[in-house]
Amino acid sequence: MSAILSDDDELFNGLGSEEVITKPVPGNHMARTRKRWSSGSADKRPKIVNKLIDGVHTDVATDYISPGQLYSTESGRLFHAGKILIVLVGLPATSKTLLSVAITRYTRWLGVRTRSFHVSEYRREKARTEKGGVPNDYYSAKPGSQEGGNYRREILRKMTKDMTEFFDEKRGQLAVYDALNILKEDRSSIEKVFGKMNIKVLFIESVVTDPLLQKRNVDLALKSADYKGWALQDAEQDYMSRLKANKHLYEEMSPEENLSYVKYINFGEKLTVNNNNYGYLINKIVFFLMNLRDKRGRVYFARCGTSVKDKYIDDEELNEEGLNYSKVLTDLVLDLVNKRRLDANDGTSAVPRTPSAASLKERSKSPLIATSASLKRTESTGNALYRQPASGDGVDDDSFVVWTAPRKRTYDTAKYFAELGISVRQRNQLQQLHPGVVADMSDHEVKEKFTSEYQEYLRDPYHFRFSRAESYHDLAVRMEPLLLEMERMCGDILIIGHESTLRVLYGYLMAFSCSEIPRLTFTRDELIEISFGPFENKVNRIPIVMD
Amino acid sequence: MPVYTVSNVQNIRVCVVMVGLPARGKSFISQKIVRYLSWLSIQAKCFNVGNYRRQHAGGEQPNADFFDFENKEAYKIRQHAVTMAVADMMRWFNDKGGVVAILDATNSTSERREWILKLCRENAIEPMFLESWCDDQDLILRNISEVKTTSPDYQGIDPEVATKDFLERISKYESVYEPLNEEGDKDKTFVRLINVAQQVVINKIETYLESRIVFYVMNLHIRPRSIWLSRHGESIYNVEKKIGGDSHLSVRGLEYARKLPELVKRSAGDVDLTVWTSTLVRTGETAQHLPYKQLQWKALDELDAGVCDGMTYEEIEEVYPEDFKARDDNKYEYRYRGGESYRDVVIRLEPIIMELERQENILIITHQAVLRCIYAYFMNVPQEESPWMSIPLHTLIKLEPRAYGTNVTRIKANIPAVSTYKEKGTSQVGESDLKLTDSGNSRSVLTTAPELPDR
Repeated sequence: MSAILSDDDELFNGLGSEEVITKPVPGNHMARTRKRWSSGSADKRPKIVNKLIDGVHTDVATDYISPGQLYSTESGRLFHAGKILIVLVGLPATSKTLLSVAITRYTRWLGVRTRSFHVSEYRREKARTEKGGVPNDYYSAKPGSQEGGNYRREILRKMTKDMTEFFDEKRGQLAVYDALNILKEDRSSIEKVFGKMNIKVLFIESVVTDPLLQKRNVDLALKSADYKGWALQDAEQDYMSRLKANKHLYEEMSPEENLSYVKYINFGEKLTVNNNNYGYLINKIVFFLMNLRDKRGRVYFARCGTSVKDKYIDDEELNEEGLNYSKVLTDLVLDLVNKRRLDANDGTSAVPRTPSAASLKERSKSPLIATSASLKRTESTGNALYRQPASGDGVDDDSFVVWTAPRKRTYDTAKYFAELGISVRQRNQLQQLHPGVVADMSDHEVKEKFTSEYQEYLRDPYHFRFSRAESYHDLAVRMEPLLLEMERMCGDILIIGHESTLRVLYGYLMAFSCSEIPRLTFTRDELIEISFGPFENKVNRIPIVMD
Repeated sequence: MPVYTVSNVQNIRVCVVMVGLPARGKSFISQKIVRYLSWLSIQAKCFNVGNYRRQHAGGEQPNADFFDFENKEAYKIRQHAVTMAVADMMRWFNDKGGVVAILDATNSTSERREWILKLCRENAIEPMFLESWCDDQDLILRNISEVKTTSPDYQGIDPEVATKDFLERISKYESVYEPLNEEGDKDKTFVRLINVAQQVVINKIETYLESRIVFYVMNLHIRPRSIWLSRHGESIYNVEKKIGGDSHLSVRGLEYARKLPELVKRSAGDVDLTVWTSTLVRTGETAQHLPYKQLQWKALDELDAGVCDGMTYEEIEEVYPEDFKARDDNKYEYRYRGGESYRDVVIRLEPIIMELERQENILIITHQAVLRCIYAYFMNVPQEESPWMSIPLHTLIKLEPRAYGTNVTRIKANIPAVSTYKEKGTSQVGESDLKLTDSGNSRSVLTTAPELPDR
């Protein structure tokens, strides 16, 4: 190790000094072996990719790496955030289930091992497997009968056990507990039980004061699994009785309880955050909640039209076939959107079936059927009392925006929408996956020219980057703002993009893993329609029929 | 290819209107927002009405009487200052393509806020009110002592006189102050920070950009604190002139590790602090003798040099000449084959920056590129410059974030180490003589971050 130094060296470095390295060792002898990933995406081949099922309720594997994860750790927990239990609080019909599912989807995407625990699922399971059925007063937070009380306690015990197990044995970091929790005593006992286990507890209380929102939430609840096969009237009556049983028991959260909580009012119109010292992860969730909207619209995904050479480097314009495709796509999407608006007007919507003069005028300008929201928008334009429509796409329920990548083919595919006066936005984040050195090469060519890289790519198609290229992971990270913006949009969005970007967006909305995302396919003969439910998202594939 | 960390559809322009009594940390928050957004490549600028009053409206070093709302003469001057600030702000939005402006003033009356709201809306700018409300006397007093030593209004004035005058000034404002009203202002977009994020009220946030600002502000606090930054001690790869790798420290590097506790102690005194290191061996070894709580962050790992990991700059120039040149041409955006760019590092540092804002005293031991990014954030160093900053080995840097800038102290350990600094256009490491004497680029001892020039 030490070398005999020349006298001069010894004088310069100090008497008795030693030089550590006599000769530099050639090569990368102390290479960085730990990569940002502790495991790849392809060690486990996905089973069959069933593209129609939302994966948000499937368990995460213990060595799970999420699509949007920036790094991985040995403990499996991120951000030094420790273990956190989020407890939903609120009366029935306050979107608690929707919130817990949405938080699960988003935090999982960030790489957090999250699971939501829904009391309704436990109750249904118990009712299914046990004799006797659910006691009548079970739905009250404070059942009068002993039977009802016991039933509640048993479910709570089972859920506490499962959540504890999730933290202790399944390397879980974040559990979301979806139940009423409207009593102070319930909340304080949860805090005590989990606090003792060194798990931080954050309450998210959802309050709905807007009657329209309340009604919509009730309507959604009536479509839930609880009322499958019920007559609408009976279901409504039953649900209202559940609501009534709890309304007078409800103790709203206040600073005096000395708990950490977020009050979430009228679906994010207002939020108050109290005693939050839980760090980055919780702030990130609040950030997400600021962007979460009650999405009544749909997200449509379509590929762009074709060009002559179909090359990455050229950035070509559409060819005849591509233009034709764009026309068909425009008609198809507008028809779908209008049809839904008509259906909504048929129902109990506030919009009169006979359009007023103003809405007729609106209609003559726009290919879309006017709704109450579009009328309000016309009213607020140029009025300093209101936020201006241009200030945020997707603020209204009936907004319709087309997002395209900043490449000719994609934004040209949207040109007929633009001609009809519909907002078309070029989003930089939708820039397709940069293919780097393998641009415009067939798989065969890649295999020939980059043999070893190709093997590595096959092992981990999600994280592997060719020279100069982006990986799917890079793409997912740079698209994150778009995900939150997508969550923000109340109305409809059509996203025209390259297959690579559609895969990532779809992967988020349907909770796919990174081994699945690079394998999803999107073709030009199908339009993908995603609709949002409180418990899960649904996909509909609509054929695009060319003349 | 540009990559955006925060999206901005062109038509969104936001004016953050600060609200609150003096000494509530408004200027501090304003400066922070500007710095954060600039770091993310979003055009942002702060318009401080106090500066306009001092520089243009003839209100230099006024005493508390000046702020009496009955003092008509002075009120005119103050009014003039606001008008000028707002006019400049509008010009900036329209001529310079501004995206987020911060109007830093007390904006204490509802009348004033309505006036701004109307003006903004007429110019297609969305106002977002950001109120810092505080009744924690300790916090206020601490803020006052900070202001009286750093505010240009009290330069050269006896601290005791300044404190008294400042308290009086606050009471003048208190007499007219109307806090945001959760009921009456419920249609406005606003955020209320109550006793520095003890409670946060968020109302009607309607765009992503706004939510992003709120998210950031939620992580801020105004308790005084310091951040220490250090690269790991000299590593074996440093000596061998290789980049990247996961090597151990050299003998001199280990000596630095032994000396570090004393350096930190000398600078920090008895305050408690937490040490953050990356997951690479060399930072852990550097931190090994420090008597504080230690945390490892994967996000603090050095910029991944991909295929060039473990090569010398000379080898890179030889094997990948095009890459070598491409990196010199645009070092911020250049991404190593199979590795990362500076921008990639900025994106993955987001949790670190946010957590750093939430914490108090932190010592970060990390790597050259990562340290440049963190330093650039605190010191408002523009993107073109930050990848070229010199951050020598065996030097402890202390940052003290203040309302009007960040103080920097560099403490040399006086343990020799190789230089890993590579100038543009050469594959040789080491700083030229010119570089060593030119303190302009390295912003050495006790400089304050300049306002970001318009870009």
